[in-house]
Amino acid sequence: MQKILFAMLAAGTALVAVSAVPASAQDTPKRIGYVVNYATHEWYQNVIKGMKDHAAEIGATVEVKDANLDVAKQVSAAEDFIAQGVDVLILTPVNEEGVVPLLRRAKAAGMPVVLEGNPVKGMTTMVAICDYDTGYDAGVAAGKYAKENLGGVAKVMNVGLPLLSATVLRSQGFMDGIQTEIPDAVMVHDLDGGGNPDRALEVSTAALAQNDDINIIYGINDSSSLGGLQAWKAAGKSQDGLLVVGTGGEGLAFINAMENEPSYRIEAAMFPEKNGYTAIDAAVKVFNNEEVPPHIVSPTAPMIGDEWSKYYDYDGTTRSIKWDAVNALVPPAKCTKTAADLK
Amino acid sequence: MPQSSSIAARSGSQVTDTFATLGRRQEIALVLSIFALIAFFSFTSDYFFTVRNLTNVLGQGSLVMIAGIGVAIVFMSGEVDISVGSLQAAVAIPLIEVMNATGNLWLGLAAALLLGLIVGVINGYLSAYVGINSLIVTLGMLFILRGGVYLYTGKTAIPDDAYLESFFVIGNERFLGVVPYPALIALILLLGFMYVMSHRPFGRKVYAVGGNAEVARLAGFPVKRVKFTCFIISSVMATISGILLASRLGSAVHLAGIGFEFQVVAAVVLGGVSLSGGVGSLLGMALGVLILAFMSNGLGMLDLPTEWQLVITGIIIIIAVAFDEMKRRRAG
Amino acid sequence: MVSEVSAPPKSASLVGALVGNNQIVLVAALVVICVGISLAVPQFYSSANIIAILRQVAMVLIVACGMTMLLITAEVDLSVGASLAFVGVVAMDVINVTDSVFLGALAGIAFGALVGLVNGLIVTRLKVNSLIATIGTMMILQGGVFLYSREAIQNHHHLPSFVDIGAGYVGPVPIPVIVAAVIFIASYVVLRHTTLGRYLFAVGANEKTARLSGLRTTWLKLFAFVLTGALVGVAGLILGSLMNAGQPTAGRGFELTVIAAVILGGTSLSGGRGTLIGTLLGVFVLKVIDDGIIVLQWNQDLQMIVPGVVLIAAIYLDILRRRADAR
Repeated sequence: MQKILFAMLAAGTALVAVSAVPASAQDTPKRIGYVVNYATHEWYQNVIKGMKDHAAEIGATVEVKDANLDVAKQVSAAEDFIAQGVDVLILTPVNEEGVVPLLRRAKAAGMPVVLEGNPVKGMTTMVAICDYDTGYDAGVAAGKYAKENLGGVAKVMNVGLPLLSATVLRSQGFMDGIQTEIPDAVMVHDLDGGGNPDRALEVSTAALAQNDDINIIYGINDSSSLGGLQAWKAAGKSQDGLLVVGTGGEGLAFINAMENEPSYRIEAAMFPEKNGYTAIDAAVKVFNNEEVPPHIVSPTAPMIGDEWSKYYDYDGTTRSIKWDAVNALVPPAKCTKTAADLK
Repeated sequence: MPQSSSIAARSGSQVTDTFATLGRRQEIALVLSIFALIAFFSFTSDYFFTVRNLTNVLGQGSLVMIAGIGVAIVFMSGEVDISVGSLQAAVAIPLIEVMNATGNLWLGLAAALLLGLIVGVINGYLSAYVGINSLIVTLGMLFILRGGVYLYTGKTAIPDDAYLESFFVIGNERFLGVVPYPALIALILLLGFMYVMSHRPFGRKVYAVGGNAEVARLAGFPVKRVKFTCFIISSVMATISGILLASRLGSAVHLAGIGFEFQVVAAVVLGGVSLSGGVGSLLGMALGVLILAFMSNGLGMLDLPTEWQLVITGIIIIIAVAFDEMKRRRAG
Repeated sequence: MVSEVSAPPKSASLVGALVGNNQIVLVAALVVICVGISLAVPQFYSSANIIAILRQVAMVLIVACGMTMLLITAEVDLSVGASLAFVGVVAMDVINVTDSVFLGALAGIAFGALVGLVNGLIVTRLKVNSLIATIGTMMILQGGVFLYSREAIQNHHHLPSFVDIGAGYVGPVPIPVIVAAVIFIASYVVLRHTTLGRYLFAVGANEKTARLSGLRTTWLKLFAFVLTGALVGVAGLILGSLMNAGQPTAGRGFELTVIAAVILGGTSLSGGRGTLIGTLLGVFVLKVIDDGIIVLQWNQDLQMIVPGVVLIAAIYLDILRRRADAR
């Protein structure tokens, strides 16, 4: 399995290498340090996987330190990387305000930095998906689905996460998108599911009990949408007339759900592997002092029904990305809305 | 009255003396463990034993060390304080807001200290005077402060818009280009409180009160006032660590300090300060902090999944405390 | 010093009469909260919401029964939340391998009991303070569960009987509620009407005296730890079943909910005192508040603040009451 995966990765990389890398020879950074905000999450495990695979292609190594959602630990981990003299630092901020002094110190130490996920004041470049647009596209797809299958009614339960600007943007995008198809779509319940499956289940249970007219469950990640769906099932309701929309495509859970749950029809896929891959490309560029845009957008796409198999192979225990299909996606040049628009 | 208190003071100092000898052996063991750790990690990574890295670790450990001074003193008095992590996040709000509004570092620091004092007074009053179990009081405070931070900030960070150079320097720069300022501040506070705990009447009172509150009360010690003071020291120390953290983060981050109380408690008990009061030293606590800081730094350089850090820390804490208890029973 | 806080005798006896029984206060609080919420949101009394609340209560109550006994023996277990997640992962894994829900359930409960046993041995044999010991095992379990599986383990065989543990019904009653009721009644009988129960109180009230009068105190404490652990196994199965997967990220903060409920119910952290009826009421108060904040569509940050305030207020009342009693 690993061999097939590797062969496919190699094939995919080769394709990209042909199209993306300029003819001029680049120096390659040897050691890349990545401070991840939360390595226990499947999303970041796949980001790391994409990074390590692509780094191996270009002859670099990626070392990872996990901030484990601790802002103080994140600063310490980056400090350690700077002290160890890695060639480039990649950083997924736990909080985008909390690493501003760190960037200033990295600059003073002459350390090139690539941000992943969230923009930070004073950064050179960032690789990230557009959260709002991801939600928006899924919202449009959900609106179309609701017109065809739910009688044009859209009463949405948002299993959200107000803690992070990225997830707030997804929920906003989803509602704005669905309203382009169904103008009177409403968010009946706006929940804080903590991004955790058990918390999402608990709060959804209460919300579903209060509003029995909910017919669409939107989750800001797969744990949230699945928690919402499990609450629906635990209440003994039939899945006819329900649509569940997840976000992320983080691991295996969503593939299982799309295969087995009749209501789980739409997944806003964010391709973490591709995110990691793009971050390595950006790291090479900043290492060489090349001109880079402030935001390098990594593509996302709503996957409807069994479309997930267009982008992923799944053998029951592991999934592997189909680079051809993912690399063919064209990301927007610029995000419609960013964290700055929330203030 | 003067006579009885001098008797009490003498018996108190006798108590501290016995524990001091017991403690010193413990501290030697801790120092040896630190050397062993340094030797081990120097072997596993080329980057570990460099001035830059070792001073980094001192800087990183200093926030835990500063808060640890307060928590250790509370432990010695026979109480607990687990509200320090939430307080770290909470004090950053008045600090940043006041600095943004006035452009003055000192006013910001005063506002942060004021909040810290208020929290210390509440914790101390409810625990020492009302007599509610301090674990519950400070657990409740942990939730109230964290919830309050979330409500006030709307779960976003408040950026530092004043850009005061002095504020950046205290958390991020190095004294003479070598020693990180937080480490220097931690060292000064540590030495100061070590002096107070072993050479001032207050220190003796804390050990006496924590060792046996009833005996201390009969000997004329103001038990409630001593415990109350300990809670205030703890909150002020947590406030100082919160200020330094805010400087390192350049903002008041609503997520700051989550789980910090566990790191502090871990370091404190690893350093031989007992939860049951009356025992332990600040030097031991400081060594406990260093052990955990070196471990975190050194393990981070091995290509281990980070979960191993959690597992190993958990095991070390249990073993250290078990070992401690064993020694104490043998000595007793 | 004391005069600062104790109220004058007359009002103290009034307060004493008012809060004469912790459980009456809790029942009154529960009634006020329920009436208040349902006036604002009539759906609060819908059968769907009542079932939702009962299911949440059941999960917490199952573990709280063990925790009550543990606190009565003057020990505590902070590792129950981390263990809850691990149990679900282990059970789901065993079900996937063996294709048997029974074996999976057995493995989950056995795992929980094993964690309890380890906690108990560390506390009783190595003499480590249980607060510290279980913070240690909490860290080990939190790290260990991700080393065991980084991904949520799915119900690969799609066995419906696994889903029934958490989501099924007997007649109109959810299965977890029945499980919780059985465990609650059994615990109640043990604690109130057996020698074992009396011994547990004796150990917590004064371990030395209990030991001198011939009780095997370490065995009694070990029993309470293992029981709590096994009950975490049961609750972990229910949570895993509700999510139809073994989630390594589950259970964060569960230990604090359980302990808060038990203490709210009047069980003392210092041991020797506590009732299961109080625990039942404590669980209800916390979970109804939790549910109420959602159905009222209030800011969910209040779900952190309100329990904190309620807990401190309840203990404060309890202390006032005992002062009044002592007078």
